[in-house]
Amino acid sequence: MTEKLSRRLVLSVPAALWAGGAFAQQKEPFRFGALMPTTGPEAGYGLDFVKTYEMAVKDINDNGGVAGRPLEMIVLDTQAKPELAINAANKLIEVNKVSVIITAWSSVVKAVAPIANRTATLELNMGANSPDIANLGEYVYTVFPLAEVDVTALAKYTREKLGKTKAAVLYINNDTGIGGAKIYRDVFTSAGGQVVAFEAYDPKATDFTGVLLKARVGNPDVVHIHGLSELPQVIAQMRQLGMLQQVTSYSSGYNPKLLAQLGPAAEGLIVTSLAPTATTNPNVAKLLDLWKQVGRAPNGLPYLQYAWDSTVVVADLFAWVDKNKLPVTGENLRKALLEIRTFDLPMTGKLVVTDDHRIKKPVYLYVVKNGQFTPLDTIA
Amino acid sequence: MTDPVILLQILWTGIAMSSYFVLFTVAFALTLKVEKLWNFAQAGLMGIAFYTMFWSLNAANWPVWAGISASVILTAGVTIGVEIWAIDVLRRRHSSGLIFFIFTLIFSQFVAFLLTLLFGTEPETIFPSVMSPVRIVGGIAISDWDLQAVGLTLGMLIALYLLIRFTRDGQFMLAVADNEKLAGIYGISARRVYILSGVISAVLIVAGIWLYGTRAGVTPDVPVGLILTAVIATLIGGLGRVFSAAIVAVGLALLQSFSILFISSKWQALLLYGVLFCALLLFPRGIPAWRWRRVRPVAKSAATAQAGG
Repeated sequence: MTEKLSRRLVLSVPAALWAGGAFAQQKEPFRFGALMPTTGPEAGYGLDFVKTYEMAVKDINDNGGVAGRPLEMIVLDTQAKPELAINAANKLIEVNKVSVIITAWSSVVKAVAPIANRTATLELNMGANSPDIANLGEYVYTVFPLAEVDVTALAKYTREKLGKTKAAVLYINNDTGIGGAKIYRDVFTSAGGQVVAFEAYDPKATDFTGVLLKARVGNPDVVHIHGLSELPQVIAQMRQLGMLQQVTSYSSGYNPKLLAQLGPAAEGLIVTSLAPTATTNPNVAKLLDLWKQVGRAPNGLPYLQYAWDSTVVVADLFAWVDKNKLPVTGENLRKALLEIRTFDLPMTGKLVVTDDHRIKKPVYLYVVKNGQFTPLDTIA
Repeated sequence: MTDPVILLQILWTGIAMSSYFVLFTVAFALTLKVEKLWNFAQAGLMGIAFYTMFWSLNAANWPVWAGISASVILTAGVTIGVEIWAIDVLRRRHSSGLIFFIFTLIFSQFVAFLLTLLFGTEPETIFPSVMSPVRIVGGIAISDWDLQAVGLTLGMLIALYLLIRFTRDGQFMLAVADNEKLAGIYGISARRVYILSGVISAVLIVAGIWLYGTRAGVTPDVPVGLILTAVIATLIGGLGRVFSAAIVAVGLALLQSFSILFISSKWQALLLYGVLFCALLLFPRGIPAWRWRRVRPVAKSAATAQAGG
């Protein structure tokens, strides 16, 4: 009898495994939403974010999914515009019934926040850095350091390590630019420096001569530009006006396309990054290998590292809710976030969620040298 | 900011930056004058012109002259096609002005979506680098791009003036612009004139988008914004006054540039629409200083020349 049972058991194991695997695949997936600009001027970044999410979701599912259930992502386009983001968020919540949404771009994160709070849906920011994000409500958290982290470090470094005394701050007139520029101004001033120009420019502008000349009048020894995809044009026109001052920017400047557009004019540019490189974190090399299969270099690698890790955070939240046998709701996912608190993430390292809705990370400074971003310093 | 060098720098850069606005404005105003058509399809033509050059130079690695030639040929070809198979059809159906307006707008949107599918939405420039060599003359930075922009625009405007003033085709254009039916009686083909003005506009558009695309990033929806400035300049310059519209385009660019002396730069775009708002309220037929310069009725002499010749 035992032999007979054993034989039956042996024969049945592969079938059970196959059936179990198939069953896992048939199980209701854990769904999360992602609001990204897949069209429009910011699509260069947005599409690469989405591609990275897909890679991360595939990696998680290939390794058994979340508590035996597959992870599934639903992406909707925002063009990085708040009005589109509101419609898309409503659709994700009302139609797709997701309980957690990953967002980026400050104006989008802000626009979605009231909906997230009203519907008790967890909103996780993975790429926007406006300092206001920390105050958007109980359902809005960030896995990406806000501007006060890297911009504060950069402003202090510029003043104290580089010895610059007079700064001009130019910024794009949107949530990203306004928030970051204010922090730079306040930190640089409180560190004993003087801000000789503080000028915004229109997001659709192509001529920055007036702004740059206003900056030139103040005779600054450093120009901080807090912009987005127009950053190369601003620097190009600055150099063409004969302004040879040190230029600094934040993590949006850490982009290979900028080097191609500016050539030698990019030399000396200092930018920030909030994620380690492949040389210090082998997991980043794995991400780069996956991108090699895409056939091109990704835009904004540090952001992509956060894209990957935000997917891991979402998976961990689902796993916690499942383990505690709670229904998948925004309320429970928020509870999971606050219960877990510390996440050990593969691409960006340790993440600690605090009650003030902010996170801290090391800031990596790079300088453009011989046409490449070269490590300059790390500020813990 | 009142340093003469800074004022001269703003003046020079403002003039250089106005170059593509001037070319787009002249293209728009010319079509409006000759065809009586608010041709918003020109935004679509800008997109076609830009992406033809972009593809030719970056994907196909053609030489610059070949890329520009391809752009001129394709843009002019599409212009002719739209004229023959769309505008002319609407004209024969005696469609209202609103239908023409809607058609041209839809055409532009169609092209924008098509270009989005083909090329994506990331800002692209014609050359990978946006840098241009610079020389300092009397404290003023003058880039090669500035010189190219001013030179190309002046050359185009002079050529257009000479064509209209001294060639028979130019006089035919004026004749049709003045009175299409009368010109027809004298044997001037309005259809041929429409195609000619369309081709001239296409060349101006290619030149304008070349200048724009070698300095700033272009996405498929950028041309719609560019055509708005052309419309504003045409409205303020006075309908049918091509060169007045060009001067207004320069004036608007300079107004925006110099406004930095008085207001924060983030308000510069608002200023443009404020000027349009006031101009439309106060001078609905254009700025009065230019009204006396009505186009003289050369139609008769041109028509007579055609009949006699």
